[in-house]
Amino acid sequence: VNIKSTIAAINQMQADGVIQRYAIGGAVGATFYLEPVATLDVDVFISFQPDAGSLLVSPQPLFDYLKARGCVMEGEYVVVAGWPVQFLPAANPLVLEALDQAVEKNVAGVPARVFTAEHLAAIALQTGRAKDKARLLQFIEAGTLDTKCFQDIVARHGLAPTWQRFEQQFLGGAA
Amino acid sequence: MTFDLARIMASKRAFRHRLAARPIEEKLALLDELRARAIALRESRSAAESGGLREEPPLYRVQ
Repeated sequence: VNIKSTIAAINQMQADGVIQRYAIGGAVGATFYLEPVATLDVDVFISFQPDAGSLLVSPQPLFDYLKARGCVMEGEYVVVAGWPVQFLPAANPLVLEALDQAVEKNVAGVPARVFTAEHLAAIALQTGRAKDKARLLQFIEAGTLDTKCFQDIVARHGLAPTWQRFEQQFLGGAA
Repeated sequence: MTFDLARIMASKRAFRHRLAARPIEEKLALLDELRARAIALRESRSAAESGGLREEPPLYRVQ
């Protein structure tokens, strides 16, 4: 079980044309900027291409490809190199933008596309579960965010009221 | 060793900053270890819940 092998397998999927673009988000994505954030799975955001002659998108080719390579399905996860991976369609404007602007990181010779810290923080704000709020606080405390860039994303995606509430609740009114 | 909460918090913060500054391959290796530990804990907990010998709690009578 080795997350680097999981990333290499996802790169291979891209090279084989099974997925177009991908970016790692969630706790694994956050680990590129923060201290390691314990998690049991890898969130991989992808853009789906509609099937030829159809407006519907299907993840079936992706699952067929992985099954053919011995990967096991576990509920909504596919176990790739020992790590359960959740493939998530970039389904809203914020996540689509995050996917567009994802950055490539080097993991000991293996390239990995990862959301920027600012997009990870904005997605955490938008998702809004307790663990997402905790992660957003980690980003703020670590000082890894480009404040202007983050504020721009927040404003662009209609998250300003949510951010104001977050500031009042956790930051004593101002970040 | 100190019981000064402010110093403890500052020390924790510094430790987290040091962890965050480690090379990404080290941090990902730590994720592998953290996950292995979480699975071991989860398995031991579910084994204890399903198969272990258990004592029935006494029925205390309240009058």
